[in-house]
Amino acid sequence: MSEKKTHEDQKYIDGLLKNNSFIIQAIYDKFVPKVVNYIKQNSGSRDQAQDVVQDTLVTIYNQASEKGLKLTCPFDAYFFLLCKRKWLNVLKKTSNKEVTINEEVLSKGDEAQELAFETSVFGEKQALFAEMFEKLGNACQDLLKATFKIKSMEEVAASLNVTYAYARKKKSLCIGKLTELVRESPKFNQFNN
Amino acid sequence: MEKENYIQFEEYLAGSLNQVELEVFENKLKTDSAFAEAFQTYKNLSHYLSDKFGNETESEAFKENLKSISSKYFIQKDEAVSREKTSKNSFKFYKYAIAACVIVMFGVFTFGEFSNPSYGDFNNYDTISLTVRGENDDLLKTAENAFNSKDFASAEKAFAQLIQIDPSNAELNLYSAISNIELSDYDKADELLTEIANENSAYKNKAIWYLALSKLKQEDVLACIDILKTIPEDAEDYERAQKLLNKLD
Repeated sequence: MSEKKTHEDQKYIDGLLKNNSFIIQAIYDKFVPKVVNYIKQNSGSRDQAQDVVQDTLVTIYNQASEKGLKLTCPFDAYFFLLCKRKWLNVLKKTSNKEVTINEEVLSKGDEAQELAFETSVFGEKQALFAEMFEKLGNACQDLLKATFKIKSMEEVAASLNVTYAYARKKKSLCIGKLTELVRESPKFNQFNN
Repeated sequence: MEKENYIQFEEYLAGSLNQVELEVFENKLKTDSAFAEAFQTYKNLSHYLSDKFGNETESEAFKENLKSISSKYFIQKDEAVSREKTSKNSFKFYKYAIAACVIVMFGVFTFGEFSNPSYGDFNNYDTISLTVRGENDDLLKTAENAFNSKDFASAEKAFAQLIQIDPSNAELNLYSAISNIELSDYDKADELLTEIANENSAYKNKAIWYLALSKLKQEDVLACIDILKTIPEDAEDYERAQKLLNKLD
């Protein structure tokens, strides 16, 4: 992926990551109207469109923050495909009947498809990780929060009133427990290949 | 996986395995697919947790900002849509509209409140004070005096020299940008202001406000509106920005 050329629209990704209000406003002014239209034409409301757009931007932000997302296609196509995918998932969850989708406005381009797919899988994984984290016992949750917030294991050990060696061992066992929860979940096998 | 495996994963990621252990570990990654897959998930989870809890403050700030821009955007659109609907649907509304127009006209002639706003309505700066005991006092004094007496050409000359000495000083850059707006050197002004606006300093919101005013002076009303919308509620110039927005819209 690093071999591919970064698109000039990377400025939107960087702007989101820097929490730059100009860029966020520009994304709403330039790219959001198309998404709202699409969702309204496909049995959605404006409020639902607002949620889909917001969730999508948070997923992009998270991927940029955690994985250093590099945009290799126009932001327009990428963003639209992502919102569309997210909306289809909402429809699938809320209705059991067959979903008919107006395909006319679909943006073409393999690069955008590929990247949007990657980001939505990232988002789904994150949601699964968050869900499984909640299933951990309180002791593990607190230890992991402290570990990744404070960063120094010595300080973590002191703040939890345990020894350094114990805190370190406990950290790996807690992430281990989380690893098991994730690997055992049926959802995990859907996107793990 | 055994507990020992997870302890080993952590040691590998922390780089605390010795040479022999490292070779055994990497060999196992190549040959044992269940081991490799568990390790990959463990590593992904570590990255996830590290980003989630390590950057919690930044991420929360982003979400807050996003929420406020999003609701502003959707509320404005809603208002536009409902305005359109009422004017289309109700015939009676005409009467009220005419009455409103009369009142507005009255307002325009009486108070001049609704006249097109211009840059001149806003460029009443407070006097600035730059000198602190230290180096470059003379130059700072020159800049300060020139700016306060509205001799922007001399002020800009002094600011340019000061910025050469202290390029990252947001305050100096801001005043230099204002001088450039006054001198109608918009490219330079806008570039300086955008830079300050994109960084985190005490002058961030001031820079956004002046960038909007620069666009107003250039008669680029659309750009001015777009920029005004990004001024956050806690900014000193928020009220003024909202007033200007109402007049421009």
